Amino acid sequence: MANQKKGTAMAAVSGFFKAIGGFFSSFGTAVAKGDLFVKLSLLWWGAGYVRRKQYIKALIMTALEAAVILFTIFFAMEYVPKFGSLGTVKAEKVFNPQTMKSEFNDYDHSFMILLFSLFSFVVWFAAFIVWIRNTINVYKLQLMEEQGEHINTFKEDLKTYIGEKFHITLLTLPVLGVIVFTLIPILLLIFVAFTNYDQQHTPPTELFTWVGFKNFIALFGGGGLTSTFGYSFIRVLAWTLVWALFSTFTTYIGGILLSLMLNSAKTRAPKFWRTLFVVTIAVPQFVSLLLVRNFFADSGIVNTICSNIGLTGFLRDAGLISTSYIPFLSAPGWAHVMIIIINIWIGVPYQMLIATGVLMNIPADQLESAKVDGAKPFQIFVKITMPYMLFITGPALVTDFVKNINNFNVIYLLTQDVYTTTNQALANSQAKEVDLLVTWLFRLTQDYYNYKMASVIGIVVFVICAVFTLVAFNFMIQGDKEGTYQ
Amino acid sequence: MRKKLLSMLLCATMVVSMAGCGADDAADDSKSGSDKASSAGSSAKKTSDETVKLTLWGAEGDQDFLKDVVSKFEAAYPDQKFDIQIGVESESTAKDTILTDIEAAADVFSFASDQLPDLVKAGALLNLDEYGEALSMANKTLDDVKNANVEDSVEAASVDGSMYAFPTTGGNSYFLYYDSSVISEEDAASWDTLLAAAAKAKKKVGMTLNSGWYLASFFYGSGFTTGLNADGTTTMDWNGKSADGYTGVDVAKGILNITSNSSFMAMADGKISDLIASGDLCAAVSGTWDAGNAEKVWGKGYSAIKLPTFTVGNDQVQMKPAYGYKFEGVNAYSKNAGWAVLLAEFIGNEETQIEHFKQAVQVPTNKKALEDEAITKDIAATAVASEAEFGVIQMVGGKYWDPAATFGEILAKGKLKANDDKGIQKALDDLVAGVTAKVE
Repeated sequence: MANQKKGTAMAAVSGFFKAIGGFFSSFGTAVAKGDLFVKLSLLWWGAGYVRRKQYIKALIMTALEAAVILFTIFFAMEYVPKFGSLGTVKAEKVFNPQTMKSEFNDYDHSFMILLFSLFSFVVWFAAFIVWIRNTINVYKLQLMEEQGEHINTFKEDLKTYIGEKFHITLLTLPVLGVIVFTLIPILLLIFVAFTNYDQQHTPPTELFTWVGFKNFIALFGGGGLTSTFGYSFIRVLAWTLVWALFSTFTTYIGGILLSLMLNSAKTRAPKFWRTLFVVTIAVPQFVSLLLVRNFFADSGIVNTICSNIGLTGFLRDAGLISTSYIPFLSAPGWAHVMIIIINIWIGVPYQMLIATGVLMNIPADQLESAKVDGAKPFQIFVKITMPYMLFITGPALVTDFVKNINNFNVIYLLTQDVYTTTNQALANSQAKEVDLLVTWLFRLTQDYYNYKMASVIGIVVFVICAVFTLVAFNFMIQGDKEGTYQ
Repeated sequence: MRKKLLSMLLCATMVVSMAGCGADDAADDSKSGSDKASSAGSSAKKTSDETVKLTLWGAEGDQDFLKDVVSKFEAAYPDQKFDIQIGVESESTAKDTILTDIEAAADVFSFASDQLPDLVKAGALLNLDEYGEALSMANKTLDDVKNANVEDSVEAASVDGSMYAFPTTGGNSYFLYYDSSVISEEDAASWDTLLAAAAKAKKKVGMTLNSGWYLASFFYGSGFTTGLNADGTTTMDWNGKSADGYTGVDVAKGILNITSNSSFMAMADGKISDLIASGDLCAAVSGTWDAGNAEKVWGKGYSAIKLPTFTVGNDQVQMKPAYGYKFEGVNAYSKNAGWAVLLAEFIGNEETQIEHFKQAVQVPTNKKALEDEAITKDIAATAVASEAEFGVIQMVGGKYWDPAATFGEILAKGKLKANDDKGIQKALDDLVAGVTAKVE
C-alpha cells in the first residue's frame, strides 16, 4: 500500500517534469526544423502567421510583442534595475512658498520597486511562455501546410474557443485572477521576509533592503532581535496547534452528538430546536463574541453572579484563584479553557447542520440490520455512524483544522483589550499566552510595523498548513477507503 | 493594483506640478528682486485659480465641529477655491492608519501626542519650521504660534528643536474623580486615607494599572524617567535608583501596598467608563472623557482633584501623570502642503480651541483660551489643568507598551509579594530589558 502510494506520487512528479521537458524539446525541434519564417518568428512573433496568411493573428501577436517591449522600456526599466538594492535615493523636499506646494526629488520607494519588479517578472515569464508556445504553433502550421492540411481562418480559430477549446475561454479569467490576487501577493510576502522592512525602514521616507536569511535565523532563536523572540515563537506555536486540535474536534463531535439528539425519534419538536440553534448563526460572529467577552470580563455579569452565589469565594478558599474575581478571560489556563468552550458554543451549530445532512444519508438498511442483530445504540454509533461520518466529512475536517490554525476572530475578539500577560518574556516580544500565530502576526504588523517578521511567521504558518493538508489528504483519499467502509 | 494606480496618479501630479513650478519659477525670476525687498512678502503670494484639494481626518465625535471649522477656514480666504473632504479617524488610531500608507493618508489629521515620535520617525509629518512661510498668508509666523500656546505643549510637539504639529488640545491626562459625599477633599490627597475612607463606606477606588500610560505616574512621581532615542529605542531607569533617591523596588512595593488593599479595584483599560457608571466606586482615576459618567453617578457629590500621593518607603510622594496633548499634523507628502499647514494652524488657533471646549470639553492649549470663563468654571478641566505644572510628557518608543502593561498586570494581580525584594528587582530588570530592547 505504501509503495503504491509512493509510486503514484512519483509518477505525478515525473509526469510534471516530463511535460516540461516535452515542451522545451518541441520548441527545440521547431527552431531546428522550422523554415525561415518560423525562425524569423523568434524575433518577430507575427512572422510565421504572415507566411500562412493568418494576418489577424499576426497582427495580434505583433501588437502583443510591442506591448511587452513598451512595458519593458517604459515601466519595468523604472524598477527592475533597482531590484538588487531596492533603491538608493531617499526622499527630500523643499517648500515653494509661491505655489504653496512641496517639491520632491526623484526618490526611490523600496516597496514600489519590490512590487513592480515582481510584477515585471511575472509579465516577462508569461511573455517567455507565449514566445515558446508561439514558435511551436508556427512550426505546427508549417507542418500542416507541408502535408496539405486545412489551415484555420481567424473566424474558424475563434469558433474553436467556444467549441473544443472552450476550457481555455472559461479558465482565462480565473487564472488571471489567481495570478494577480493570489500569486503576486504570496510572492511579495515571501520576498518581504528576506528584507529589513520594518518600522525603522518604512517607505516612502526610508528605504529597505535585502538581508538574506537573517529574519528566519532570528525567529528560531538565532539572536539579533529581542532575546525572547524564539522563546515566544515556540510557545505561541504550541498553543496554536493545541487550539486547532481541540477546537476542531470539540465542535465536530459536539455537532454530531447534537444532530443525533435532534434526529432521535424521542426528541420532541426537533424542528423547533434546530431552528433555535441555527439562529445563533444568524447573529454575526463578532457581535456574539464581543458580548460574550463582556459577560466573562473581570467585572462582568458572570463574575457578579459567581460572587453572589459564593462560587468566587469557594474557588478562592480552594486556592484556585488569588483575585477577587474569576479571571475567565484574563489569566492563562482559565482563558485557554474558556476560549475553547466559547468556540464550541459558536461552532457547534455549523457542524450540526453538516452532520444532520450526512446522517440523513446513512443507509437505513445498515442501521436496521444492526438493530436486528441486537446492536446497542452506542455500538451502532461507534461501528456505523462515526465511520460513515468520518468517511464523508474527513476532507472537511482537514480544512476545518487549517481554518482553526488561522482562526483570527475568536481569539482576537475574545482577548484583545482584556487579556494582559504576566509573562515578561512573552511581553518583551509583544506576544501573549493566548495568541495564535496569526493574531501575533496581526499585532506585529498593525501595532509594531514589523512587516519582515510578520512575513516570516506568515511563511511558517503557510508551511505548517500546507504540510498538514498534504499529509492528511494523502492519508484519507489514498486507496479504496470506500471499500473498507462498506 | 491600487498601489499602481496610485503611483501613476502620483507621477502624473508630480509631472503637472513640476511643469507648474517651472512656469512659476520663470515668472518668479523676473520679479524676484522686488519681491525679496518687500518686507512681509505676503502681498506677493497670490491665491491661485486652481482648486485646493485637502482631506482632513478627525475623531468621529468631532465631525460636526470640523465641518464648522472648515467653513470658517474657507470664509477666511474668499479668493481661493477649496475642496476640503472630512474623514473619520480617531486620534488614538491615527498613527496606525497613516503609517499603513503615508502617501494615501489625509493632508491634515489629528493625533495623540504619544504618537508623535513614531510619526516623525516614519517621516509622516511635515517639519513646520521649514514651512513657517506658509503662515504669512494668515499674517502669522511660527513663533507667534509657539508663543500663543502653553510652553509644554509646544515642547511636546517638537523633536530636536523642530516643531512637527500644532497643539490643539491639552489635558490629555488623568486625575482623581471622587464622590465628595463619601470622601472628603483631605481624604483624596493620599492613597492611604483614600482607601481607608472607601473601606469605611464599603466602596472601592479604581485605577488602571495594566497600561503603561497609567502605571508610569507612580514612577514619574518618584523621580524616574523614560526617554526616546533617535533610533526609536526607549531609555528607562526604573530598575535602578531615581534622582529623588528612591529605588524601583520601593516604588513597586508602594504600588503593591495599594493593590493588596481590598478597597482597591484594578480596572482594565477600556472598562473604566463602565465601572464608573456601575456605581460600585467612590473614586476613580480617569480623564476628562469620563466627566459625564462621573457626574451622572455621583450627582451633587461629583468632584475632581489632582492625583493623590502614595507611600514610598516612609515618604508620601506625589504621583505625576503622563500628560498628553492632541495635535494637528500635516502629512509630509501632502500635495498642497502650504494650505494644509494653514488649515492645521487654523484648527489650533484660539477661537477654534474655545469652540472645541464648548462642544466637546477639550481643554485648550492656547494661553488666552485657557483664561476663558467656560474653562475655568469646569470641574474636570480645572483638575486636569492643575496637573499641567507637574505632569510629565511621556516620551517612549513602541517597545514600551507591552512590557509596561505586563508589569502593571503583575502588580495588579498581586503576582509579586511586597516582601520579595529579589523577585521585584528581577521583574523590574525584565521590564527594562524589554522596553529598552533594540527596535527592529
